[in-house]
Amino acid sequence: MAADASAQRVAALAAGLLIVFLALALLSGWFSDYALELGGRVLLLMTLAEAWNLLAGYGGLVSLGTASFVGVGAYVLVGVMNRGAGLPLACLAAGLAAAALALLVSRAVFRLRGLYFTVGTLALSEALRLFMINFQPLGGATGLFLSPDVPGLRGLFLLALGLFAAATILMELATRSRFSILLRAVRDDEDAAAQIGVRPFRIKLLAFVFASVLMGLGGALQGLKLGAVEPYGMFGLQWTVNVLAIVIIGGQGLRLAALLGSVFVVTLGELLASYPALHLAITGLILIIVIRFAPQGLAGLTIRLARRLRRSTRA
Amino acid sequence: MNGAPQDAAVPLLVASGLSKHYGGVRAIDEVSLTLPRGTVLGVIGPNGAGKSTLIGLLGGALRPTAGRIQFDGVDVTGEPAAERARRGIGRTYQIPRPFLDMTVRENLLAAQYSLEPFIGRQRALDACDGILERTGLADAANLAARALPLLRRKRLEVARALALKPRLLLLDEVGAGLVDSEVGDLIALIRALAREVQGLIIIEHVLRIVRECCGELLVVNFGRKLAEGHTAAVLASEQVAAVYLGTAHAGAIPSPQAAAATGLAGLVQANAPQAEPAGVPLLELRDLHAGYGLARVLTGIDLVVRTGQAVAILGTNGAGKTTLASVISGLIRPSAGELRIDGVNRVGAGPHQIARLGISQCMEGRRIFAPLSVAENLLLAAGRASKAERSRRLDLVYGVFPVLRERRAQGGTSMSGGQQQMLAIGRALMSRPRLIIFDEISLGLAPVVMDQLYAALAALRAAGLTMLIVEQDVQRALDLADEVHVMEHGRIALSGTATQIRDNPVLRHLYIGTAD
Repeated sequence: MAADASAQRVAALAAGLLIVFLALALLSGWFSDYALELGGRVLLLMTLAEAWNLLAGYGGLVSLGTASFVGVGAYVLVGVMNRGAGLPLACLAAGLAAAALALLVSRAVFRLRGLYFTVGTLALSEALRLFMINFQPLGGATGLFLSPDVPGLRGLFLLALGLFAAATILMELATRSRFSILLRAVRDDEDAAAQIGVRPFRIKLLAFVFASVLMGLGGALQGLKLGAVEPYGMFGLQWTVNVLAIVIIGGQGLRLAALLGSVFVVTLGELLASYPALHLAITGLILIIVIRFAPQGLAGLTIRLARRLRRSTRA
Repeated sequence: MNGAPQDAAVPLLVASGLSKHYGGVRAIDEVSLTLPRGTVLGVIGPNGAGKSTLIGLLGGALRPTAGRIQFDGVDVTGEPAAERARRGIGRTYQIPRPFLDMTVRENLLAAQYSLEPFIGRQRALDACDGILERTGLADAANLAARALPLLRRKRLEVARALALKPRLLLLDEVGAGLVDSEVGDLIALIRALAREVQGLIIIEHVLRIVRECCGELLVVNFGRKLAEGHTAAVLASEQVAAVYLGTAHAGAIPSPQAAAATGLAGLVQANAPQAEPAGVPLLELRDLHAGYGLARVLTGIDLVVRTGQAVAILGTNGAGKTTLASVISGLIRPSAGELRIDGVNRVGAGPHQIARLGISQCMEGRRIFAPLSVAENLLLAAGRASKAERSRRLDLVYGVFPVLRERRAQGGTSMSGGQQQMLAIGRALMSRPRLIIFDEISLGLAPVVMDQLYAALAALRAAGLTMLIVEQDVQRALDLADEVHVMEHGRIALSGTATQIRDNPVLRHLYIGTAD
């Protein structure tokens, strides 16, 4: 009976999400350019945040390598499209390339645990950035330009919406399924998990590949939007830091984190757009405040407030 | 998983020449053992003898330095833990390692799903709930494992290993901290399990379990095999009595701490009369209530501890003993009642404030700071004492427990269980307290180590230390205490002097579990 109830809830949630996505897609024709641009940015960051949350929140794999996968996705999309391939094929290639990179480095980074894993992924992304700056066949420091025409703002918005929808479905599967039980077991105690037959390497690898594909696709979208890719931007640390800030402010390990965190971070960015220095300082300050007073972030606060409200109305 | 071809003639497990060296330390040195099908093998030995290392080697958590392990005729020496688990080797950890942020049921489901990823959901849930029922955890299925107290976490260790449907089960001290009636339940469970699995290896200090469950016994000392054979014969051997069983079985009472007792007064805060107005007890609880959320654990406790007294709190698990200790040390805030120290009500004071009033706790589960060395663990507790004073106290603690001096530069948690417990007591002494609460200090210790600890406690008591002892081991507590309180269902059911209580039939009644 409990299973039925939860199945019903999942179905209701899926239907609700579907309606929201369709409504957004239909209504986007009336959105202003500013709204489309902003909406697209929020959706892209949400996708990346979901991916990072899967790794860090559910898998305990605090990665500082987001930029590597975003960058690889962007470069592969531009490269493939410049050779005459269509957008779907280019996106597929971008996702696969990110997955391939994840597979390639997994042996090395999973040997490291905890903080060492974090530092290892950071080293990976910095090394990749330096390599891309100096590797002339891929444009070196100037990067590559996208020759074919890019879709307009609405097209980009719809792509971002589609990507986020895919990410949501993937995350629903990964966080509600039996896979999530195995992933959380590995997060809580890798050795104890192995002792009951869980193969930690495979479980971590699966999560890492899932997340990397999403990050690669996010990068592809960003490359498409900019029409050009260069190593400082696409492999830059700001991707890593932004996504991390979003999840921490939103609430690590909670599903609402991506939405609340992205909206918050993008809104803050818009409000302080004219004061870039102040923007950084304020983001830092907010991070400190959140970590100190609301370790479960905005999502945690929301849940707590909702509970208190419900209790007080019941009383 | 049990479908592999089984040749009854092939022993379930064969370990030959197994060694594990850490640098120069030989945790396990050339140990061989053979486990025929259907055997329950007990492994005993002093704390630090290498028993848990042996389990780690068999389970695959540790790589042997030398030697081979064959499971069911297959060489599994090079296989990691996960692969051995999938072959059917299940183990528990001595210090439980549940998945803390998952529910109890999810802890078991992890084993189910890793083994059979495509098993029907309902079947998996039924299997898990069946195991939880057997291990007495059914009521906790939806709780986060973090919410379980130590002993229930130990149950969860067993339950989780069972979810693996193991053919060989390795149990690492699952009986520690249980009272007689609970040990009886555990023995029944182990016997039932022995019929289901093909082999069992049990590390245990609770001799009743060893006697009643294990057909064969292996004694390990300093990483080497000391004796091996039928349980009764091994337990009867003098050699085993000397290194492991200690006084309770051998008769003689060695007291290595007696000599140190003279200097101990320096560790015990002088019972200055001005701090002790006549008639005002050091610690007094009046109608104290406490609990966790909705669960009311303590329901009206009245208790008095006077300076120089040794007061023991006895009772079954779940009676509220550890909660009581936590309330006194300020870790849990009581919901009603008074906690008076020197006659002043201190309800609401934090643990650091209580500690500053001279009340120190030696906690269940030891809680040694792992990254710190033995000496650092001790010095940390000395607080703001002057440098000379700190080194003086350090010397006195080393006098009580000489082994701590030998190990002073070593990491706090790298020592054996008994040595860690000595460190925990030493740490409590370093603050030069007026009252120490000893919370289940004998948990999981070899009989011979318990003797040493209680000899040290007796010496401290003789030096005038006031102590509150929360204990499972009735006999030892009665030997030490002046006054005894027996707790049941969150209240004190019986109080009196040690002699009165010893002869009281109600104590036996409460403890054996027929009181309900």
